[in-house]
Amino acid sequence: MTSLVSASNVSKHFGEVRAVDDVSFEIEKGKIMGLFGPNGAGKTTLLKAVLGLTDCKGRLSVLGLDPFKQRKELMQNICFIADVAVLPGWINVTRLLDFMEWTHPNFSRAQAEQFLSRTNVRPDARVRELSKGMIAQLHLSIIMSIDAKLLVLDEPTLGLDPIFRKDFYSNLLNDYFDGERTILITTHQVEEIENILTDIMFINDGRLLLDTAMESLPDTFVELITSGEDAEKARQLNPIFERDVFGKKVMTFEGVSREQLEGLGEMHTPSVVDLFVAKVKGAAA
Amino acid sequence: MIANQIALVKREIWEHRSIWITPAAVAFVVTFIAIAIVIMVAAFGEAINPEIERIADATLPDAVRRAALAVFLLVNTSVFMMAMWFLMIFYCLDSLYAERKDKSILFWRSLPITDAETVVSKLLTAVLAIPVATMAGVIVSHLLNLVIMSVWLGTEGINPFRFIWGAVPLFDTWAAVFVFLLAVPIWFAPLLGWFLFISAWAKRGPFLRAILPIAILPILEYIIFRSWNLGIEILKRLSWESMPIFNIFEFAERFDEDDLHDIFAEQTSLLSLLDIPQFLGSFQVWAGLVVCGLFITAAIYMRRYRDES
Repeated sequence: MTSLVSASNVSKHFGEVRAVDDVSFEIEKGKIMGLFGPNGAGKTTLLKAVLGLTDCKGRLSVLGLDPFKQRKELMQNICFIADVAVLPGWINVTRLLDFMEWTHPNFSRAQAEQFLSRTNVRPDARVRELSKGMIAQLHLSIIMSIDAKLLVLDEPTLGLDPIFRKDFYSNLLNDYFDGERTILITTHQVEEIENILTDIMFINDGRLLLDTAMESLPDTFVELITSGEDAEKARQLNPIFERDVFGKKVMTFEGVSREQLEGLGEMHTPSVVDLFVAKVKGAAA
Repeated sequence: MIANQIALVKREIWEHRSIWITPAAVAFVVTFIAIAIVIMVAAFGEAINPEIERIADATLPDAVRRAALAVFLLVNTSVFMMAMWFLMIFYCLDSLYAERKDKSILFWRSLPITDAETVVSKLLTAVLAIPVATMAGVIVSHLLNLVIMSVWLGTEGINPFRFIWGAVPLFDTWAAVFVFLLAVPIWFAPLLGWFLFISAWAKRGPFLRAILPIAILPILEYIIFRSWNLGIEILKRLSWESMPIFNIFEFAERFDEDDLHDIFAEQTSLLSLLDIPQFLGSFQVWAGLVVCGLFITAAIYMRRYRDES
């Protein structure tokens, strides 16, 4: 496997604030990596470092390039959506495609026009005349028409209604992702994308809490629903997090085998959201 | 690199429609005034514009008529120059500020274009695209005004083909105006660089942030050193009169209509009044370009290192 993104001991401090603090990870080709963290956890700063929008300490290599120093070369093979609202309001769709065609060597206008023909976005419309959802469709159509090795999405569906959000991700999977490309995505709407992810990372207070493949989650994490004496026994096995649900205890275990928990209650693999809460709150406790 | 610059300058013209709307509006207003004057002359029988009187006076020699036409075109052009001056300032102040304000900078920076290319394209727009658009407005305005004058002279029984089109030094005037319109931003370059830097730096209110230091620093210099060197230098840069491009001594001071007639009577070509080698070889011009380069470098640095979130 080849690493598209390789970070070792990456840090970015703003004065006393450690936005990203000694983070190391690898993202391999063909993965869909979800990066999750509470507000202010350092997600966006980390993505900016990956995109070469901010410099950082440590060693960071993206597609074999130094993202900050070789940003122009990097941007030929990487594309990103930072937020739905960043397309300039004054430009119209045709001119936006013109500009992309002139400046981006890996952009296919025919492809973008084909994607757009499936939407209600008119070629002569200005971006400011479009609804939020249509702007997202336009942006995604453009981004998906770039033959890029890495796609970075930072809260791409923020403020969109559920139908648009669902379409957005299904378009992404059906029309873009081909197993060769790599996607790095952050969002708070974890439930909507957890079934498309191959890998996840959790970040909090600038530090990496978890970096794992989705398929290895059942081996590493167990959620146990228990009560009474069983709960006491289970607690001896050091759950990373415990919460109350309808009078029962729900405990999350890391690195504890299912055999050890056998008979203590109902077991299943935690959802990404529950795992996220357990890791973040468990680390804070 | 060049293809990117062309694309980027086109983008600026799309975004800042004032680049072509301003000269078009000036051409419209100037023409409207010309028509109004013709109507008033026709209605009241009084010649309001002395140029027209001179042009129509068959007793005067051709050289005087030619000079009168050149002066008429120059006075018309001076309105465009004033508009271009404001246009350059406001364009530069807005160009790097607007993209941060509407957050489109994150989109532009997602493309394979360097910050240096982007900032340079904004400078090129100011020093090339704006003068070219202004020149187009000047040409349209000149032609419209000459046509209106021709129609009016025609109705008075005077042959416009001899008195206007046969006498007007049109191409010489256009060549001179175009050279001058290109020289103005070069002279203006340190201030354009400053405005672009403020545009890249200011979190809000770029206009005030750009103007205040220009106003306050000379006063500080006076308070501390009892001298006005900086203020005088800034004032020189703000006006075209000090540009080292004229080969007639104190041309600028003589820029009123009577003197202009004398100048043109002596020297028939407007273009020959401009000394391009003297301008391009001038220390002041090169010093200004160096200062502009420093501000542009700072603006590139700002755009590259500033965290927009």
